[in-house]
This record gives sequence, C-alpha cells and structure tokens, in this order.
Amino acid sequence: MVPLSSFLVVGAALFSIGVVGLFLNRKNVITILMCIELMLLAVNINFAAFSHFLGDIGGQIFVFFVLTVAASEVAVGLAILVAYYRQRRSIAIEDINTLQG
Amino acid sequence: MMTEVAFPFPFPQHLELILPEIILAVMGMVTLLMSVFVSKSRQNIVAWTAILSAIAAAVTLLSISGSEHQYTFYGYFLLDPLATYAKLLMIVATVFGMLLSLNYVKDLANVGEYYTLMLFALLGMLLMASANNFVVMYLGLELMALSVYVLVGYQRDVLRSTEASLKYFILGALSSCMLLYGLTFLYGTTGSFFFAEMGNIISGTGENERLAVLTGMLFVLAGLAFKVSVAPFHMWTPDAYEGAPTPITAFMSVAPKVAGLIVFMRIVEEVFQSLQSEYTPILIFFAVLSMAVGNLAAIVQRNIKRMLAYSTIGHVGFILLGMIAGTMQGYTSIMIYMTIYLFMTMGVFAIIIMMRRDNIQGELLDDFAGLSKVRPGYALAMGLLMFSMAGIPFLGGFWAKYAVFMAAVEQGHIVLATLGVLFSAIGAFYYIRIVKYMYFDEERVSFNFAKSVPLQVTVVFSTLVVVAIGLYPDPVMQICKLALAGFV
Repeated sequence: MVPLSSFLVVGAALFSIGVVGLFLNRKNVITILMCIELMLLAVNINFAAFSHFLGDIGGQIFVFFVLTVAASEVAVGLAILVAYYRQRRSIAIEDINTLQG
Repeated sequence: MMTEVAFPFPFPQHLELILPEIILAVMGMVTLLMSVFVSKSRQNIVAWTAILSAIAAAVTLLSISGSEHQYTFYGYFLLDPLATYAKLLMIVATVFGMLLSLNYVKDLANVGEYYTLMLFALLGMLLMASANNFVVMYLGLELMALSVYVLVGYQRDVLRSTEASLKYFILGALSSCMLLYGLTFLYGTTGSFFFAEMGNIISGTGENERLAVLTGMLFVLAGLAFKVSVAPFHMWTPDAYEGAPTPITAFMSVAPKVAGLIVFMRIVEEVFQSLQSEYTPILIFFAVLSMAVGNLAAIVQRNIKRMLAYSTIGHVGFILLGMIAGTMQGYTSIMIYMTIYLFMTMGVFAIIIMMRRDNIQGELLDDFAGLSKVRPGYALAMGLLMFSMAGIPFLGGFWAKYAVFMAAVEQGHIVLATLGVLFSAIGAFYYIRIVKYMYFDEERVSFNFAKSVPLQVTVVFSTLVVVAIGLYPDPVMQICKLALAGFV
C-alpha cells in the first residue's frame, strides 16, 4: 500500500517543476504551456490521492472538471500563440517585449 | 445545504433561480449563429441582441431575487441578496462595455463573436457570484477568464493586442493552477468543496492538519489575488490593459474585479472564518503593497490606459481595507466602492474611446492637452471623473474611500487607514495632472472626436451618477447594506 504522503510528494515535485520551468525557461512559449499542463497534472494527482484516502468521490469528479478546463485552456492558449506568431514571427520569450513600463 | 442525491437523480427544484444564466448561455449561442447569418454591414444587430439579452437577464434576476438565501441544483447554486447585487453590477458593467464597443470594434473581422464572448464572460461571472462551493466557482472563473483572454487579443492584426493576450493568458493560467493546488490541500483536510462546510471543519482541525490548511490558504489567496490584480501579483494588469481594445479594458477593470472580490469575500468569510489572525497579516501586506505600487507607479506612466491599470491596482488596495476590517461595515464598504468605481471607470473610458484622431487612438496623456478649449463639456466630465477617482469631496469617489477607511478605523486599523489616506493623496497627483493638461495646456494636435450616441450617453450618464452619489450618497449606502444582509 502506497501511503498518501508519497502521492503528495509526487504532486509537489510535479508542481515545483512546473513553476520553476515557467520562471526559468527563457526560450519558448510552448514550454510554458507544457509547464502549465504539468502543474494541472500535479493538482489532479493530489485530488485523486486525497479522494481515494478520504473515501470521498468528490475529488475524482473535480479531476474531470480540471481536465476539461485544461483542454480548453490549451486550445485558447495555442490559438493566442498562433495569432501572436503571425504578428511577431517569433515565439521566443525574449521577443515578447512590446509592452513595457 | 447539500442533500444526499440518489440515482437516478431527481429533477432539480427551483430551476428558475438560474434563469438569468440560462438566458445568457442560450443568447450567447444565438448571437454566435446570428453573426454568421447576418451580413457584415449589419453586425450591429448582433450587438444590440447581446445588449438586450444582458438587460433581459437583469430583469429576470430582479424578478426572482428575494431577501433570503435560495438554493438550486442540489445546493450547488446560491442566490442571496449579495449575489443578486453583484450580478446587477456585473451586468451593468457588461452592458456599458458593449455600448462602448459599438463604435470601436465595428471595423474588426467577426464582430459578432466579440459580443458572444462578452456574454459568455458575463455568464461565468454570474456563476462566480452565485457559487457557494469551489466547483461552481472554478468553472465560472475559467469561463470568464478564457473569454476575457480572447477578448483582450481580439485585434488580431495588432501586435500589442495579441501580446497582451498572451501575457494575460500565461499569468492567468498560472494563477488558476495556484488556486487549484491550494484547493487540493483544503479538500484533503476537509473532504468537501462547500465553503461553509469547509469552514466548519477547518475551525475544528488540530495541529496535525494545520500545515496543510495554511499551505492551502496561502495558495488560494495568491490565486485569488492574481485574479483581482493585487500587488505583488499585478504584473499582468498594465500590459493587458494597454494592449486590450479600450472597451474591453473598461469592461475588465470592473466586471471581473467585482466577480473576483465577491468570491474573495465569500472564501475569506466562510472558508477561512477561523483563521482570521493568520490571513489578516497577508491581506494587510497585499493592501499596503497594492496601494503603494498602484499609486506610485501610475505617476510615471505616459499612456492613460496604463496609468488607469495602476490606478485599478491602487483602488483594489483600498478595497482590501474593507476586507481586512472583516465586519458587516467592511463588506458593505467594498460593495459601495465597487458601485461607484463602476460608473467612474465607464465614464473615463468612454471619453478615452472618443479621443480618436485620424484613426490614431488618443491614449497618451499629452493628447488631452487643451481639451477644455475644444470640447468644454467633455473636459468638464473628465475633470469631474478624475477628481472623483482622486477622492475629492463631494464626488462619488470620496464616499467610496470614506466608507473603506471608516470600516478600517472602526476595527482599530488606524495606521492602515492613515497609509490609505496618504497614498490616496499621492494618487490625487496623477489624476489632477490630467485636469491640468486639459485646462492649462495648449492644444497640440487637432481633435477629431468620434461621434457616437452610445458613447455620449455613457459619459453623461456616468458623470451624472458620480455627481449625484457624491451629493446624496444615502441610497447607494442603503442598497449596499441591504445586499449584505445575512452575509456575516
């Protein structure tokens, strides 16, 4: 039997990788989208694990909502990225600098 | 509250409570279809349909609302006076946003979808106001956020619009993740998604669960702070405000803020009711930093949309003082502030939208130079609105600030209230600077005002409301008190 703490550690690790990747990544916006997905997966692992150990189905149902929203979020994000690329001809992070101040 | 539901599910009772949302969802889809079938030159029909459906939602809402708490969908959907009032504010803000858009976006491609997205954003916000649990709140939040990301980037052939949208999207998605990650810990300790139930269980938890609860609280507060653009989570605000089409800037500086603050209030008051001594320092940190960042950074801005973005951050900082007070009076002051802020913002942005000259948007502060000589009426309206934002008595904005400061003082936060007055005085500088440009500087380029009746109506109406509230604030204060009845 795997204890709850192991799941939480995996979740925390995934979430941290996502956050660190988001802030340290200096190259590409696609990587940022991947980091966001990673963070949402960490959330899902936590929900599923808590749901199992609490014996409450609510957490697993919430996972479905999170998955649905994550899918639509990526769809919107990629669409925005395509619109941006058409204008800027680049998706490198150091090029996102028109708005400043 | 939540009733045990057996399979097969009984049909939910009191579905009429969700009628405004149903109207918006259906009309959102109808306008989407209309935008395809109506010819390009008559897209204004789509816009007016959207405006009328928002008004229809408001009328329906008023007819079903009552003074008690009403539930539907097995207790997942709550309609109380606070939700009703917040929904009315959001609908008014959205209708104003649409009126401001009529002239502004008519040359863009796919104008119809623009109004569809606004209706869906409104739908998400109404759900947030009615949420008494994290499931509905999260879904409403995402529906609102995803619609607004697209609206910010609606000018697809303008680089800064798409870039603003991209930045807003990345930081918005990050904040949602933080909110959810915090929620997992709160769910793990309580086994529930309902605000009140979670609050009750959290108040009974021992030392063992304390770390999980506090971690959860920190992440949830940070996620919410992102959504209402509180410093230090405000980085997206200036960029998104500057890049977005101006009507959307007006819309998103009011409506999502109301929705976010309602959720903030409910979560702080119900879920974290027993953790007041823990969250108060965090809120004080947020409030002081927001007031400082908002009011100081606004001084150096040359673009008025960017300046107003920092001004929003400052205003949210003032509003947080009401939240810190945590009393009936404090929450009432938040609603008073939001009501007055709604009209001030809409009036100011309507004037900014009119300041076109030969297809160039007059967005720089210098563009206001000499306005009083060419258009004394608009200059007077802009001046009154700026004085009101600065909190000069006796205009609407003064009573808004007065209410939050009094609420903070009543609870003994005298230092905080003093800091608030101080930053408000600093803020007065950059508001009144615009008045100086308008009245004491020479006109540099000729003005070419956009002629649009909806814009003129918005300016006149919101200025009159701000002045009227300033002279006679009692009705607004009474209405806000009624809205908060039964909340604390």
